[in-house]
Amino acid sequence: MRKNWVEWGALGISVVAIAAVVGFLVFDGLSNRGTRAMPSVELDMAGGYATEIGYVVPATVRNDGDAPAERVVLSASARVDGEQQVSSFEIDFLPSRSEVEVYFGFAAEPEGEIAVRVVAFGVP
Amino acid sequence: MSEAGKRSVTRRQARDSVNQSAQDLVRAAGGGLLIGLPLLYTMEMWWHGFLLPHWKILLLLGVTFVIVIGYSALSGFRRDRSLLQLLVDAVETMGIAAVVATLALLALGRIGPDVGLREAVGKVALQMIPIAFGASLAATQLAAPGEDDGDTGSAAGDRAAVGTLGRLFVAAGAALLFALNVAATEEPMLLGIEAGPWLLVGVMIGSYLVTLAIVFYADFRGGRSAPIGKGVVSGPFTETAAAYAISLIVSLLLLWSFGRTDGMGLSAVIGQVVMLGVVASFGAAAGRLLVGGGGGEGAGEGGR
Repeated sequence: MRKNWVEWGALGISVVAIAAVVGFLVFDGLSNRGTRAMPSVELDMAGGYATEIGYVVPATVRNDGDAPAERVVLSASARVDGEQQVSSFEIDFLPSRSEVEVYFGFAAEPEGEIAVRVVAFGVP
Repeated sequence: MSEAGKRSVTRRQARDSVNQSAQDLVRAAGGGLLIGLPLLYTMEMWWHGFLLPHWKILLLLGVTFVIVIGYSALSGFRRDRSLLQLLVDAVETMGIAAVVATLALLALGRIGPDVGLREAVGKVALQMIPIAFGASLAATQLAAPGEDDGDTGSAAGDRAAVGTLGRLFVAAGAALLFALNVAATEEPMLLGIEAGPWLLVGVMIGSYLVTLAIVFYADFRGGRSAPIGKGVVSGPFTETAAAYAISLIVSLLLLWSFGRTDGMGLSAVIGQVVMLGVVASFGAAAGRLLVGGGGGEGAGEGGR
């Protein structure tokens, strides 16, 4: 049926590839606890830097739930030059158990703490 | 012939066999990319990789596997193969699709070290579907004449007869492939929701008549004008009606799989099914042309 090493090799790689895809989907599906989307955001204050548009602070947005989230609205507020400034951001989709990096922008380097939170999100 | 001569012939045959197998692999991968490229560049397909539940992705992969087996059994020049051989071929086709999908998504930057495993595997699994169809098509239809298993012909009409049920099976596979290209996007939903009942009726009649004309009157290669057998769905009008019904079922399956029917009212679901059914029915017509008119009366027509 298989004529030579190329065909045997192709068959072997195919079996491994299919087993990996199907096996992972089955395993992940069975071990999925069905928890709801749980987006959270964490600032990296030390990673902030000045740019031409002002001062940006990186943050990591994480979804620790088993369900994806969509239109995740984030907000960061801080005092800048004596005034309260709000920086917001929206992420289209946040897959389950994944994270993305975003940057909050301010007119200048914030004074003191930056309050950051997930304002709202949808469930696709 | 001397011993040395026999060894030389054996070595040459082995080298030819390896070359032939390598060509088959490259052709399958190329065919998979040809068919799969549009969906590799479709944003909604990336999203559905992590939005769809595990079991829906597995279900779609299972349907694809069955269609690949059936298509391999019904078309091309492999129809004398045993079930085990067909299964092994289908595993190889799906495996090639998995490898090609992974490499293509890596090249496009859609998967990588910074992407979660669930997201990456979901994306690969969904892209495997069109690529597997393309690889299967390449293996059965795009081989040069005489390359595959002693084949001596190339036109659809040269092959043994494909019965009505076989044609409808291939029609279902081709409908799935065509409809998959748009089912993941929002356009069928928009078209279906906005269309009024009379427009939908018109679209249904139009889909039926145009696909009837394509398969039975337009003189495409693989088309035919005479019934294959005496079955209820072997005539032009009844076969087209059956193929159209299958196209609507395939459309509903895809819309449901992609969550397009969730929370929708009945009229919105029907509208979407009819609008996606246009694409699916054209795919079903193309699939039936691909396997030709079959033998008997149809062979003469199919071999034009």
